[in-house]
Amino acid sequence: MMAETKKQKYDMQQMIGTALRVGVTTACLIAFVSGIYYLICHGAEPVPDYTVFKKEPQSYTTLGGILTGVFHFQAKNWIQLGVLVLMLTPIVRILLSLIDFAKERDWLYVIITAIVFLVILSNSIGGA
Amino acid sequence: MTVLLFTVILLAGAYCAGLLGSLTGLGGGVVVIPLLTLCFNVDFHYAIGAALVASIATSSGSASAYVKEGITNIRLGMFLEIATTIGAVCGAFIALWMPTNTIAVIFGLVLMFTAIMQQRRTADHTGVVGSELARKLKLYGTYPTKEGVQSYQLTHVCGGFSIMVSAGILSGLLGIGSGVLKVLAMDGAMKVPFKVSTTTSNFMIGVTAVASAVVYIQRGYIEPGIAFPIMIGVLCGALTGTHLLKRLNVKVLRQIFAVAILLVALNMIYDGFMGKF
Repeated sequence: MMAETKKQKYDMQQMIGTALRVGVTTACLIAFVSGIYYLICHGAEPVPDYTVFKKEPQSYTTLGGILTGVFHFQAKNWIQLGVLVLMLTPIVRILLSLIDFAKERDWLYVIITAIVFLVILSNSIGGA
Repeated sequence: MTVLLFTVILLAGAYCAGLLGSLTGLGGGVVVIPLLTLCFNVDFHYAIGAALVASIATSSGSASAYVKEGITNIRLGMFLEIATTIGAVCGAFIALWMPTNTIAVIFGLVLMFTAIMQQRRTADHTGVVGSELARKLKLYGTYPTKEGVQSYQLTHVCGGFSIMVSAGILSGLLGIGSGVLKVLAMDGAMKVPFKVSTTTSNFMIGVTAVASAVVYIQRGYIEPGIAFPIMIGVLCGALTGTHLLKRLNVKVLRQIFAVAILLVALNMIYDGFMGKF
């Protein structure tokens, strides 16, 4: 029984560790490739004025907007997709923990993990 | 300046920021803000967005190794993430009405505090008698040391939890990981072993940063043209830093950097008071 839980704990650590690494690597690869694509398309243009903040257009700030641009092969949207994958990485980590705590029948931690997930979810829906 | 030149310079700057953040233990996000605002004259809002991206990347990247080695206390991290995510949500809302110059001054103060706290190296707690609440929450853990697997107990759960709320607020307001405050909550208040505190803090930073990043991306703080060189540069810099840390003793380097960070912090505070942001 003891060995069983120990092994489970070890498996969970490996899984979470791998998920984090895969997420960050994927996000960086997407950002890198689309970054080069962005430079090929826009590299010779003068730098946009970043000294003054103006709200980014919808195409970079909403999920729908980003994905539409991705389908139209807009370089900046592809970069933003990389950012999205990066943001999803910790969220996936939370979900993996949730599943694992449920498997262990550790209901206290299922609730705790669910609270954290719900805070982030409600923030992404109603946060703007 | 063309986009190409700007990107290349920013990439180099971000690499240095990642290296510096990793060598000093400050984290990726903290160095990005002064880099963008003071060196590149980028608006503070974009800087916060970029810092968040950098925080998530470096935290998730390095947490991956620590989790596999079994140093991170996943339950403790999960439990305290309730505090940091709720704090981060509050921070992101406070940022809506707080003037940018005030945010800059707060950032400078946090940076100063961080640089000073980094100089302190505490001895590990011995013979900590854990509290009943910590036991009920199953927060006790074990971690590998040179002498084999060591188990530990911890205490002051409520105290640690409330410090974590403030860490979350700062994180949401400034876009940084506020790792030092997280370590203070665990190592200082809850008597968690130092190594477990730092790795668990690192583990939590990604989730905390995402809680406010989902708000900031919708507010348009995350500009792709800035985000991608920052993300790649900081991550590569942080990886180099981790390799260097294994090979050489960086004590003197750390002290030099701490002085540099203090000067940057003073600069931020001064500029904030002069209303430059």
